[in-house]
Amino acid sequence: MLVVSGLTKRHPNALRPIFRDLNFSVSAGQIVALVGESGVGKSTLLNCIAGLETAEAGSVQIDLQNMMALGEAERARLRAARIGFVFQAFHVLPTLTVAQNIAVPLLLTRVPVAEHAVRIGALLDRVGLAAFGARWPASLSGGELQRVAIARALVHKPQLILADEPTGNLDPRTANEVLSLLLERCREQNTAALIVTHSAQVAARCDHTLTLTPEGLQA
Amino acid sequence: MKRRAFMLSCLLSALADSKTATPQYAKVLRGLALQFPRDHGAHPDFRTEWWYVTGALDLPRKDIGFQLTFFRVRTGFVEALASPIAASQIVFAHAAVTLPGDKLLHADRAARANLGAGFSTSDCDVHIGAWQIQRSVSDVFMLKAQDAQFAFDLTLTPTQPKMLQGDAGFSQKGVRAEQASYYVTWPNLQVDGSIVLGGKSQAARGKAWFDHEWSSEVLGEADVGWDWLGINLADGGALMAFRIRDAAGATVFSHATLRDVMGRTQTWSGAAVQFKALRKWRSARGTEYPVEVELRFGSHIVRTMPIIDDQELSTRRPAPVVYWEGLVQVEGTLTGRGYLELTGYAGKIVM
Amino acid sequence: MTLALWLIQAQFQTRFTATLLSMLAIALGVALGFAIDLINTAALNDFSRAMKSVQGEPDAVIAPRDSAASVPLTAINQVARDAAVLVVAPVIEVRVRVDNDAATVRLIGLDVLTAPAVMPDLLPRQSAEVSGNLFGDGVYLSRALATRLKRNAGDEITLMRGDATWRTRIAGDLPATRPDDLIAVADIAWVQARFGPLDAVSEARIRLAANTDVEAWRKSISATLPSGLVVKGAADEGARVSNLSRAYRVNLNVLALVALLTGGFLVFATQLTAVAQRSTQFALLGVLGLTPSQRMAQVLLEAVAIGIPGSALGLALGYALAFAFTRLLGGDLGGGYFSGSAPTLVATPFSMLIFFALGCAASLVGAAYPAWLNRSQPLAAALKTGFAHRPPQAHSQRGVLLVALSFVAIALSQAPAIAGLPFAGYAAIAVVLVIGIVAAPLATHALFSHLSRYDLPPAQRIAVQNVAQAPLMAQVAASGLIVSFALTVSMVIMVSSFRVAVDTWLDEVLPAPLYVRSKATPLPQAALDALKRPDAPFVKSESAAFSGLTLDASRPAVALLVRELDRNDPGIRLPFTGPVIAAPLEQTVVWVSEPMAELYGIKPGQQLRLPLLGREMNVFIGGVWRDYARQFGSVVISRGDYEKLGGRFEPTDLALWPRAGQEAAAKNWLAEYVKRYALEFSESVEIRRISLSIFDKSFVVTYALEAAAMLIGLFGLAVTLAASVWLRARELATLSALGFDRAMLTRAVMFEGLMIASIGLAIGLACGVAVGALLTHVINPQAFHWRMQLHIPWFVVMLGVVLTLLAGLVASRFAARQTTLLPAARVLGSVQ
Repeated sequence: MLVVSGLTKRHPNALRPIFRDLNFSVSAGQIVALVGESGVGKSTLLNCIAGLETAEAGSVQIDLQNMMALGEAERARLRAARIGFVFQAFHVLPTLTVAQNIAVPLLLTRVPVAEHAVRIGALLDRVGLAAFGARWPASLSGGELQRVAIARALVHKPQLILADEPTGNLDPRTANEVLSLLLERCREQNTAALIVTHSAQVAARCDHTLTLTPEGLQA
Repeated sequence: MKRRAFMLSCLLSALADSKTATPQYAKVLRGLALQFPRDHGAHPDFRTEWWYVTGALDLPRKDIGFQLTFFRVRTGFVEALASPIAASQIVFAHAAVTLPGDKLLHADRAARANLGAGFSTSDCDVHIGAWQIQRSVSDVFMLKAQDAQFAFDLTLTPTQPKMLQGDAGFSQKGVRAEQASYYVTWPNLQVDGSIVLGGKSQAARGKAWFDHEWSSEVLGEADVGWDWLGINLADGGALMAFRIRDAAGATVFSHATLRDVMGRTQTWSGAAVQFKALRKWRSARGTEYPVEVELRFGSHIVRTMPIIDDQELSTRRPAPVVYWEGLVQVEGTLTGRGYLELTGYAGKIVM
Repeated sequence: MTLALWLIQAQFQTRFTATLLSMLAIALGVALGFAIDLINTAALNDFSRAMKSVQGEPDAVIAPRDSAASVPLTAINQVARDAAVLVVAPVIEVRVRVDNDAATVRLIGLDVLTAPAVMPDLLPRQSAEVSGNLFGDGVYLSRALATRLKRNAGDEITLMRGDATWRTRIAGDLPATRPDDLIAVADIAWVQARFGPLDAVSEARIRLAANTDVEAWRKSISATLPSGLVVKGAADEGARVSNLSRAYRVNLNVLALVALLTGGFLVFATQLTAVAQRSTQFALLGVLGLTPSQRMAQVLLEAVAIGIPGSALGLALGYALAFAFTRLLGGDLGGGYFSGSAPTLVATPFSMLIFFALGCAASLVGAAYPAWLNRSQPLAAALKTGFAHRPPQAHSQRGVLLVALSFVAIALSQAPAIAGLPFAGYAAIAVVLVIGIVAAPLATHALFSHLSRYDLPPAQRIAVQNVAQAPLMAQVAASGLIVSFALTVSMVIMVSSFRVAVDTWLDEVLPAPLYVRSKATPLPQAALDALKRPDAPFVKSESAAFSGLTLDASRPAVALLVRELDRNDPGIRLPFTGPVIAAPLEQTVVWVSEPMAELYGIKPGQQLRLPLLGREMNVFIGGVWRDYARQFGSVVISRGDYEKLGGRFEPTDLALWPRAGQEAAAKNWLAEYVKRYALEFSESVEIRRISLSIFDKSFVVTYALEAAAMLIGLFGLAVTLAASVWLRARELATLSALGFDRAMLTRAVMFEGLMIASIGLAIGLACGVAVGALLTHVINPQAFHWRMQLHIPWFVVMLGVVLTLLAGLVASRFAARQTTLLPAARVLGSVQ
């Protein structure tokens, strides 16, 4: 599903690259944890995979398409079609309702509006927010917001989930619930996932762990 | 004897302010010898005068009728006004073309003398703008008229001498001696030139009839209109006849003149000239005209057959006048083509 | 599209006030533009209709080039015989006074035989109670005139023109004239017999055959006519009517567009802050897969969503405005070109579409830069830290740009008018405004880095640092002020310069204490003779006569002033703008006005061919004098020269100098003549007062537009300040958490607002002076052909500065309140 090969990224003004010649892959249904110390470049790697940042060398293949070979607009479309995102800071749009937030990927991938209600309703049910569709994000707790984010990440049935510290802002109990939810849903939909985390517990629940160090990637 | 001119002169003199002195119109006197070309020109001392050309063309098509008439009216007022453009002499003109099997086209103009209109007192030369009837030294008349629907530019060449109607040009029009006009006719004029129809200029050829008549008083109080015809006969002769009617339609005065191809002239008057309506045509305005008339005079019986029925005319300027005037075929003991004029059938003029 | 609508809806809900203000600003701009267009079009149509009602709609008109001359009957009769001519309708028109009424009336002599074809609206109707006919001795009055004179058909009246009088009676009315026409009609011959001209008429109106090539006909017939006559086509008539007020109308329209431009600026401010505020949201959407062009389109769509209702509202508002204006003040926007009753407004779909599109375009243009910024936001960074503005361009680059723009502005200011309109001048004004906007960051940087060197109280220091670090918002706020203040100042300067110039000019052209006019009909000889008698209480009197010369059939006529002045010393009566050149003795000398010199490219010392007295004549240009009264040019000739050419001097105006100490006696002496001949008497002081009040009235609309621009500018300031404060809500909350109290924060924000307003005003003032100079020295001479000195009313300008600063303070206080009202804890705690 995701194949990263020879990926090298340099900071604009630094001599040393952030990472060099990274090679790994994540197959469909596989859930991979990416761990490493702060500042080692985990988020940058994630950004490169998502096409938000460009790398100097290498390739990022998502569903056989090389993200790095695409223009900005195509990258955006590829993200919309194939990738779901979960962020540490939730990033739920405050001016849209819960249901509208979840509908955004459907709108971006031009899923017929008639299907929205059913799909969003089912997902809200699955993430335990059945009655929350019409609520505004400001009235939700952190755990609830992240559930909304997970629903939004999965609603358009992406092949790949990119999650950046999805439980970083949550208390341990809620974090556990939310993580379970994310893993269950990924497995249910046979979605590949790459989860950046500091948490050993989180890493332990994934199928596989990759550790990013200044020297490179270690399995 | 044109109804229109008569109406106009009556109208205009009726309009004249009662305070202003009635002008001294020149009188029509028997025995005056007309002099030409001087008497082809205008006679502004008389109240009414017209130069009247009617004709039938054989080119570009058979039985196309055409007409161009200039009326000069001495209005009788503002004669003392110190202005060269005072409305003391007004000229009206009327041009028409009859299209056989189709319709009548007509246009008119009006202007005061010195302000768009003009006439000569020494020869036939009258115009309003570019419309004109003008005689050249060789007795050829030049006619010009233009309008949006038609235009013509014709020369009329005499094939016979002119006719002085009545008594050497003195033409009695009623029972009283003053009811008379000076009347000069030139029949059987050869027409050449061009006519524009539907925007297309075509060569024209045919025969025409020229009248020049001036007077100061013609009709009596009770008279309402008249029937008149002027026919170029097929054999080269010329026939002119008229009757004046009262309100009941009875003949008040009638007259006929026939000049044969040898130049012999005969006249009939009174009971010897009989008009009888054979067929009446009702116009869109509701007026009935005896377009087919039987005329008996002496041993002759002729009848008129209009080229088209609808040759009714209406003009609004300066006052509404409705009458019938058009090209007719004449058959009977004499045959020919010419114009028939039927006036006073549309009722009294509303002033 | 659904997403776009959700976002627009969300945006309008969260920034309701700012969005509404932008919408209103667009609406105001559209409304002003549309209203001005409606009124002008209506007034112009009305004016054309009024002219058509009197002149009819002839295909061509033969008229004398010199309005004092006439068209000979021979020419009329010659033209009539042309085959293309259907009707020649001659008229004699003279101005007469009726009985003792003060108004002068147009007496039109026409021929009822020819008039119907060309000017049916002027046809008289004989009254049933009056005997006689349309060719007779009688006049026919328009309803307005009969009402004014309180006369009925059958009444005797006396018409007077100079010493000629016509005692006649009212024979009927003019049923088809317009309700406010003061017209009398009579038979042309009667008018000619009573008032002349003999053997001639004033003009002839011609109907041509339908298929005539009017232009070709006009050329061929012109060649056969005397040179003193001009053959005008129908197109000329339209062009002349339009030319009459074209420059004035275009100027007003440009002013209205400026109002719209400032509206666009407000959209700019609103959308820029909207983009900044939502940078995290847009970054998220970008990560989720919204393409860059979709992110740009979203901002533009929002602008359209502001523009469409704004423009629609503007159209409605504009119509209402135009309606109210025409009801209250008639169709004249103060230019003095149109007068009379309220014209009918006609909103054509075309003009509505144009103004609607302009409103949307202004909104789109305003949103263009914010949209572009939104497109180029770096997603990952924006998602993390919010709005990131690119570091400002290097200042040296801006300096170069400023110098280049200044050269462009100077070059444009030197360019000539295009089609009689100062388009390059308008462009130069736009460039000056751009210069102001480009200079804003330089000035902001300079001021704030200078301020940061001082030891300021903490609140103020925070404000200074903030602006120095994130100058974009400050620049936006300042730019809005720069544009609106520059425009306001420039208008004030232009109007003031003009007013001062007119004031001095009035001194020069009104040398005598008393003036008597007989309004277009010649002064009675009896009065002129009486003036010459030794017992008349006057030291001196000078008279003048007026007529019009048609030099170019498509332009309004040039005024010909015949004056009693010394041809060797015209300078004592005419305010010359340059040298006066003595003419050769045998030559006729004239002095042309500034507009005439500019319109026809005339220089002193040149020879000019003038259509005087029915023929073309060579005259010598002795000099150019200043004339603010006649925009289409005027030419002065001395009475001596005029009479030498064979002209009849029939004065209509008198300037009088009473003997010292006999001022009261002089007025009494005049009163008798004034009463007897219904003359108009005025003192120079009064003429000055009236002239200046007319002048002031003519700028009412200009003032309204200025106020609108200023208001929009202040809106812009308030919106941008509020937004910039809103953006920094978290920062301010942090400060508050660190121990700043509410008052300190308010002070900080107000100080910032004050600094920004000061920069805006300073640059605005500089630009305003520059634009004022452009208006005075480029736009005015090119559009109206008059020049004047620049005069800056410092007191008014400074008052404006102070008031705007105060308004700025109020705006920033409002902005500060908005933020400090937010509970700090919530702001800090909120994730987004």
